[in-house]
Amino acid sequence: MLKQSRNNKSENIIEVKNARKIYRMGKEKIVAVDDVSFNVKRGEFLCLYGASGSGKSTLLNLMAGIEKLTAGQIMIKGHNIQRMSERGLAKFRQNTLGFVFQSYNLLNSMTALENVELPLVFKHMNRKKRRRLARQMLINVGLGDRLKHKPTEMSGGQQQRVGIARAFVSNPEIVFADEPTGNLDSKTSREVMDLIKGMAKANHQTIVMVTHDKDLAMYADRIIHIRDGRIEKIVDQLAGNTAETAETAEAGGPEENTGQTEQGLEALPAHNPG
Amino acid sequence: MRISDLLRMGLKNLFRRKVRTILTVLGVVIGCLFIIITISIGHGMDRSFEKQVKEYGSLTTITIDTYGAIYDDNGNWVGGQEQKLTKDLVEQIRAMDHVRAVTPVIYIYGRYISGKYESGANIMVMDRSVFEAFEFPELMFGEYPNDEDNSTIVFGYNQPWEFYESNPTSWMNVKYKQVDLQKDKIFFKFDEWRYQRNPRRKEFMLPLTNVAKMVETKAEYDYNAYMDLEYFEKIYMQYCNTLTLDDRKKAMKELDEYQQIMLNVDNIDHVEEVQDKIKEMGYQSNSLMQYLKPTIEASKTLQLIFLFLGAVSMFVSAISIANTMVMSIYERTKEIGIMKVLGCVVKDIRMLFLYEAGMIGFIGGVIGVGFSYLASYLINKYGKPLFGALVNRGGSYLGGTEVAEVSYSIIPLYLPLLGLGISVVVGLLSGYFPARRATKISAIEAIRTEN
Repeated sequence: MLKQSRNNKSENIIEVKNARKIYRMGKEKIVAVDDVSFNVKRGEFLCLYGASGSGKSTLLNLMAGIEKLTAGQIMIKGHNIQRMSERGLAKFRQNTLGFVFQSYNLLNSMTALENVELPLVFKHMNRKKRRRLARQMLINVGLGDRLKHKPTEMSGGQQQRVGIARAFVSNPEIVFADEPTGNLDSKTSREVMDLIKGMAKANHQTIVMVTHDKDLAMYADRIIHIRDGRIEKIVDQLAGNTAETAETAEAGGPEENTGQTEQGLEALPAHNPG
Repeated sequence: MRISDLLRMGLKNLFRRKVRTILTVLGVVIGCLFIIITISIGHGMDRSFEKQVKEYGSLTTITIDTYGAIYDDNGNWVGGQEQKLTKDLVEQIRAMDHVRAVTPVIYIYGRYISGKYESGANIMVMDRSVFEAFEFPELMFGEYPNDEDNSTIVFGYNQPWEFYESNPTSWMNVKYKQVDLQKDKIFFKFDEWRYQRNPRRKEFMLPLTNVAKMVETKAEYDYNAYMDLEYFEKIYMQYCNTLTLDDRKKAMKELDEYQQIMLNVDNIDHVEEVQDKIKEMGYQSNSLMQYLKPTIEASKTLQLIFLFLGAVSMFVSAISIANTMVMSIYERTKEIGIMKVLGCVVKDIRMLFLYEAGMIGFIGGVIGVGFSYLASYLINKYGKPLFGALVNRGGSYLGGTEVAEVSYSIIPLYLPLLGLGISVVVGLLSGYFPARRATKISAIEAIRTEN
């Protein structure tokens, strides 16, 4: 349905303009995000890379509308998300956004299947249809035999797969991933990253990921280095050049990968950290 | 969220915290039980009250006797006074507000004679116009005295008493006879011992040719006969003419004063007011209300106590529901945050918590209704020592017969619905603020919460 617009490679799906976030701790002001501007293109895999406390997670939360900006504006698909009503934002999340969290954030009282179903429940989808979609999604992430398991009965990797299935089940245009492999060992991390990237590329979805792990950052099309709330540099992996400013030339483009399916995950080009 | 999803999720959440849910529900059960039982006992008392009223006569009737007992405010007897009940007094009372009907009453005693048999006679003489206003019972046959024919004597269901031989051959073996009012020839005679008959006059004998009989009422009507005042005055004059000159004067004088005045008030609420006015005129009066008032008040007090207990326990259960919901929100902060991030609208979160609270109320209400039927059954079966005194007290004053089948607690159809409604409303009300609080949880903080 959105194929046509998604194919428009130069379209900016997210525009961050002079975003600023200041926390007030008593009398002290902490500038978490300091006048940051950049764009995210449709279908792009963007990584916000930085040490802990650099403000990258805050930036992600700001983009997802979970936190409020102090100044500046963030546009997603042409909507100023900071101006949206709570209800509008909820509807927007239902239809456009998916989330993958470091600590999975699954509901422990529910089975894997029910967890994956949850975003569809909020969308008023009927039970039969959402069951089918959720089941298929869990099969896609390789948990076809874990449908009825509770999160507490699963390993971290499996839980994160459920988290990924949940994020992708409603086929969102943008998926936000906050340290998705933070709690996983390196082998599982790679599997999970391949899964996220494969699914996103297969459906031409945009991914914004936050990480402090350089290896993981290499999965991205573009890496924005964040330091002390500011953009330090932007590395365009596909073009191979480094820019000091927010404006980066569009090179290569995500089309290269659009034909890819989950089956081809293992064959993903290994990005060599320079 | 769809309603069905909301319901499923809410039930699941309640079930997840079984023990807490059960304890909270228990509070509602007790509150609901108290409220239903209170109202049902109220209904039971109303019912037995109505029964008593039917048995002992109208509640709106006031009587004034020739001897008026004086009571203090606490109902203790402090003295008495002779009261002259004259025609003037009757007219004065007739002119009072709220008085629907008033009649002088004369009790006459004598004997019914039927051939060799006789029986005691007691007849109440009243103004024929009041039979209707006093709501006298229906008649099996005959008619009440009216303007065309005032000569009817109306017998209660158990009247006259059994006839016995006037001069039995042997006192050991008195014969009795069933007399048929409509067929047998019966005469009425005034008591002979009161006044001396002029020996030259023929004895006064009133043939009972025009009679009527009431249906059974199980009330005092059954044991009386009634006669019109005007007709009585006519026959009394005839009777007086048969007496000696001295006694005739004495007997005639009796007509100037009545033995009782009965009046009917238009509304139960005006009985006391009219009684007070009569008291101002210097006369003591009686009414059934006087006797029943302590009973009514006691039962109302008891009901009030129960209702208070019900309200208190409902209030406590409301607090407990609110507490449960607040606890549940604390525990589920993270869950709520996740739901919000996944696109759950605030309205759905509020609905979910309201629904859970309402469900606690509903389950408690259903169980409470069930228990209240059980409690009602037990009260009716074993509750006599506690409730019997209250319900039957009015009866014991008036020497009435024990009521065989008494329901102390009656649950009309609307009552379970009311109990259920109150329970659900209490649930929703006490869930409202916690639910609002749940919606205010910030998604980012909720997600950061560890649990």
